[in-house]
Amino acid sequence: MSSPEPDLDTGAARPAPSPTVERAEREAPVSGPRPAPGSRPALGLALLGSELVTLFRRWRTWAMLAALALIPILIGIAIRLAGPAGPGRGPAFLDQIAGNGLFVGVTALVVATPLFLPLTVSVVAGDTIAGEASLGTLRYLVIAPAGRIRLLVVKYLVAAAFCVAAALTVVVVGTLVGWALFPIGPVTLLSGGQISVGEGLLRFLAIGAFVAVSMLGLSAIGLFASTLTVVPVGAMAATAILAVTAQIVGAIPQLEWLHPFLFTDRWFDFADLLRSPPSWESFADNALLQGAYAVVFGGLAAWRFATRDILS
Amino acid sequence: MSPRATGPNRARVLVPAIGVPIAIAAAVLVPMQATAAVDLPDKTVEELLEFVEASDVESLSGTIEQRSELGLPDLGALTGGSSGGSAGSGGDETDAAASAALEELIALATGSFDAKVYLDDDRARLQVLDRMAERNVYLGPDEAWFVDSETQTATRLTVPADADLEGIEADLRAKADEAKAKAEAELPEGAELPTPQQLLDRALERLDETTEVSVGTDGRVAGRDAYELVLEPRTDETLVGEIRVAIDGENGAALAASVTARGASDPAFSTGFTDVSFAAPDAAVFAFEPADGFTVTEQELPIPSAEEWAQWQADAEARAEGDDGVAPDAHGDRPVVHGEGWATVVEMDAEGGLAEASAALEALTTPVDGGRALQTSLLSVLLTDDGRVLAGSVPVDALVEYAASGR
Repeated sequence: MSSPEPDLDTGAARPAPSPTVERAEREAPVSGPRPAPGSRPALGLALLGSELVTLFRRWRTWAMLAALALIPILIGIAIRLAGPAGPGRGPAFLDQIAGNGLFVGVTALVVATPLFLPLTVSVVAGDTIAGEASLGTLRYLVIAPAGRIRLLVVKYLVAAAFCVAAALTVVVVGTLVGWALFPIGPVTLLSGGQISVGEGLLRFLAIGAFVAVSMLGLSAIGLFASTLTVVPVGAMAATAILAVTAQIVGAIPQLEWLHPFLFTDRWFDFADLLRSPPSWESFADNALLQGAYAVVFGGLAAWRFATRDILS
Repeated sequence: MSPRATGPNRARVLVPAIGVPIAIAAAVLVPMQATAAVDLPDKTVEELLEFVEASDVESLSGTIEQRSELGLPDLGALTGGSSGGSAGSGGDETDAAASAALEELIALATGSFDAKVYLDDDRARLQVLDRMAERNVYLGPDEAWFVDSETQTATRLTVPADADLEGIEADLRAKADEAKAKAEAELPEGAELPTPQQLLDRALERLDETTEVSVGTDGRVAGRDAYELVLEPRTDETLVGEIRVAIDGENGAALAASVTARGASDPAFSTGFTDVSFAAPDAAVFAFEPADGFTVTEQELPIPSAEEWAQWQADAEARAEGDDGVAPDAHGDRPVVHGEGWATVVEMDAEGGLAEASAALEALTTPVDGGRALQTSLLSVLLTDDGRVLAGSVPVDALVEYAASGR
């Protein structure tokens, strides 16, 4: 990975193209003269729309979603061919699949949450600003009257949209694969009771939402990393490494005092939604934690992005 | 940071740079401020215990957090190994299941976990929230379930058909009445049996001989104002430093308890509510119907039948008639008790069961004079070479001494 420091240095040391360009860049954003109030929200929405289209037009986005979809497909086929897993072996819920195909989606989420999902989210979030900078398009975006903060918010929302798409891809593909390959029946909860298929599907959807929310903190970190550099791969790698590091720290008992502050701490609490009664507190706690990360790293990104010289 | 930030840029730097930390600090500090001052009406130890006695909490639901740093080694190595062995050697399966359930219950009692507790009249549920898994204990009026999602097993504990529960209860009540009548007959004319208050005072007096009981500082537990009862052993022969119990200032329910080892600053064992409500929980939380995939085991509780109960009674009477001063035969059925109060040590015969698990034991224990010892922060166990087991909340040295003198 490329550390942000050298980029800062080269960015600062690079000869400014011309004083007028720099002036224009530094004075245009945010606090510059505002256009008529009515036009701004529309502008933000238009920007959001175009950014979303850009994201979902990229082959890279679809390749990542396809890779995520492959996880439940592989799990389903493996269990179908190799037979049911014994209780307590393999990832959580793996033993449930042969009896109830609906569990393929949740099992796939258990498998994808530690690495694959954060990896794809890191790619999208790390690319947000640094990607534009590396392509040389960032300066045009910030010169537009949208403003830097607004651009940052739109970029974050786009990354959040990818989080939702990624989590839903795993759950929905998993459920469909399970439906096709295995018998479907009432869903066995962790507490030992059962609920109907319809209620079970709703719970699985809620789990998808939980996982999507879980990735929002990481997206904010990626956004901040992306404002530090003009090399998108650096921001992506830094973000992915942080996701893994946080999980390693979370696995060390001696650092237990630190655990509640890790953005990965509640990633696996989505199983709380499969209890009876379902524990919505963990959903709220997780949302709060991720919100705090979004605020802190969003704030850092805003500070960095607003004060940075944008030369490319 | 950026030296070139001037004019309007400075505001853009300062607002997030200062505003974000302030917002976070406020979010963290405001609730802490709210919990700082708790001032409940002062109570003496007697008043507080009476208050607890009068508590009539019948239903509650809440989350408890149990943290245990007893320094206990992984007991699964011992019991798990032996249960696997017995299954292999053709031991019957109900025994294996029973020992597995027992192991789970021991693990629950001594382990660290977060759990939800529901209580309503005669039904209760402990829902242990493991990561991606769950253990449940459901208690009902006439059955109990132990459910483990990881092994997909549900163990149903029932009262055996020939158990004479009513008989035992009636017997005990008759005994109590008899004792009361006897006491009343012995009392001088006009005097009555002590009131509960007097009984409490007497119990406190007796407790006071061994333990210093005091009321600690009021605090907040699970968002509720709570009294704190502190028990400190008067002897320094025991490993126990102090026991603290938090008692709800409104209804007298125990909200938290912790045991600290002598000389330690953090509790070795603590359990308590992190949030609690005293409203009756929804009846649905107590309902349990095992799902299709679960292995269901039936297990009868070892409640004595009428004959066994009669036998026990006879035994107890025989014991009561024997002289208390002389320690019973160390190699008999009954445990020998050394010491008193907090420093009590129990000595038992190991019945040769140790030879089997010796490999596992060797890994868990350390050699000492005359045997092998297991030392945790609150409990010591000594396995002597001549097949005795001594256990107590005392340092290992004391156990070694007792073992040497009792030979």
